[in-house]
Amino acid sequence: MNRYFLIVILSFLFSDNIFSSEKIILDQVSINIHNKPSLQRGAKIFMNNCLGCHTLKYQRYSKFINHLGMPKEVIEKNLIFTTDKYGEPTKIGSLIINAVDEDFSKEAFGVTPPDLSLIVRSRGADWVYTFLTSFYKDDSRPLGVNNKLYPNVSMPHALWWMEGLKKPVEGNPKKYSYVVTGSLSEKEYKQAVTDLVNFLAYVSEPAQLERYKVGFWVLLFLSLFAFLAYLLKKEYWRDID
Amino acid sequence: MGKFMSWIDARLPVSSFFRNHLSQYYAPKNFNFFYFFGSLALFIFILQIITGIFLTINYKPDASNAFASVEYIMRDVEWGWLIRYLHSTGSSFFFLIVYLHMFRALLYGSFKKPRELLWIFGMIIFVLLMAEAFMGYLLPWGQMSYWGAQVIISLFGAIPYIGEPLALWIRGDYVVSDVTLNRFFAFHVIAIPLLLFFLIYLHIAALHTVGSNNPDGIEIKENTDENGIPRDGIPFHPYYTVKDIFGLSIFLIIFAFIVFFMPEFGGYFLERDNFVPANPLQTPEHIQPLWYLTPFYAILRAIPDKLGGVIVMGISILILFVMPWIDRCPVKSIRYRSNGYKTSLTLFIISFIGLGYIGMNPPTPILTWVGRLFTLIYFGFFIFLYITSKDEKTKEVPERVRMDE
Repeated sequence: MNRYFLIVILSFLFSDNIFSSEKIILDQVSINIHNKPSLQRGAKIFMNNCLGCHTLKYQRYSKFINHLGMPKEVIEKNLIFTTDKYGEPTKIGSLIINAVDEDFSKEAFGVTPPDLSLIVRSRGADWVYTFLTSFYKDDSRPLGVNNKLYPNVSMPHALWWMEGLKKPVEGNPKKYSYVVTGSLSEKEYKQAVTDLVNFLAYVSEPAQLERYKVGFWVLLFLSLFAFLAYLLKKEYWRDID
Repeated sequence: MGKFMSWIDARLPVSSFFRNHLSQYYAPKNFNFFYFFGSLALFIFILQIITGIFLTINYKPDASNAFASVEYIMRDVEWGWLIRYLHSTGSSFFFLIVYLHMFRALLYGSFKKPRELLWIFGMIIFVLLMAEAFMGYLLPWGQMSYWGAQVIISLFGAIPYIGEPLALWIRGDYVVSDVTLNRFFAFHVIAIPLLLFFLIYLHIAALHTVGSNNPDGIEIKENTDENGIPRDGIPFHPYYTVKDIFGLSIFLIIFAFIVFFMPEFGGYFLERDNFVPANPLQTPEHIQPLWYLTPFYAILRAIPDKLGGVIVMGISILILFVMPWIDRCPVKSIRYRSNGYKTSLTLFIISFIGLGYIGMNPPTPILTWVGRLFTLIYFGFFIFLYITSKDEKTKEVPERVRMDE
């Protein structure tokens, strides 16, 4: 075991670039976590399409009351679809988890679908957005789809019913043609993904909603304090030459 | 009040302590910008202790709970996010301040006679601080925490004969694991902070024995008035207490801006990979320590041999301990020293920052060679200094300090 690590570490220390990946150009997404309707739409998409496999296991439903501006009853009725281990509807104070057994999902997909609480913090909003808009039809893959950004990813295109299925146009890899049309137009789909990414960006750091506001007042106070401290210093130092 | 104080003073030397170390402790009157960083370092140390205590209340040093407990602090603990960001930003700022504090010593020769012990205590603090930061970085148990620790601990394995058993002894396991996390927690929250506390006490005690140096590098104690008070000295309190409060307020504005508006600081203070829980089976694409350790990491990588790299990296830190005996020039301040010294110090600083940049990036052939060049300059500085400093052509040092323009 130790020898194995030594090799790994040595190759990191003294290798020239063997692990570096190609630069990928990501699509830019503009999100605003203060946009509550967008967060609500994103939460809806997440609970309906993603929670089946992915969790948000560090986040509690109850946070949505203040952060998303939704009454408790609305959340219980529209966003909570799971039950606890006694079969009772999940309580609002619970963490957002699902009933998928880790070993089972690993067997089904090859990897356990990752928890997405921090996906925007670890990958970035642009990455998640690009990922969700980069699925294309590929019959050579077991699930019939592949991903431009993350080749041979084991995730199916869960949002295919919204986007439809597209295929790169031969000769122009940047262009797609739709093989199956979804329930949304291309523009609507991009907006839906933007809302979802916005929601995930909020979940990755709910404190953002607070810290900018608090930060403003703290800086204002400190500026006043610094000004007074400067006057005090000046007053004392008048007699030093 | 007077009666109360005399009752206390008869039992505890509070008033005389205040006089000896504040109101009648004389500091040179010409301190400049660089002299804020001592008191700021002390402030950050206290901030780290206090925020650390609050973090410890909710943190769980357990491989299966650590990551989740940090997220719990970030989301469910009242003001937990603020406490955590103060602590994480504080660690980066601690190093920034300490590096500026050390740079000040190089600029004005503050390590020279009679301040050799003061400097050595400071260097021990610096080394302890690196250990403290390294161990603290494991605690969030993210991917970079885990793999960073794996790489750094494995460096001990390069030492002949005792290396592997030593690395095993540090980890307590064959790989970084729950066992390692537990002991690093113990070191991070109590063992090293206690040592730091003691060393900081010695550092300040030594400082107050010899008195502060200043930008002119003149010993103010050599020029006293009829009462034995240095002519260029002013009482620390109130003059420097009010000045340091002003310095602190400016520092806090910058610090708070980062805490509230960019706590990740573009991935330099909190790395993206560290928001993924530690996974012993999946190595991140690129492993590097946080920015404050990267200059030394780059020196390690510059040497094309593991043991050699570890030794050279060790020397790059240890050589700073003997600075008082490497720089043999009697003139302290850079203001009155030769262009040779000014040039070599500039090159040294450029290479140190350059090494920091290289250590943050994946190795490429060009960066590796630039890193080797900077490593040569880094060590060249000490060699050049040892050879030339004894007979350096210096300017005349004035009798009295100059006030800064």
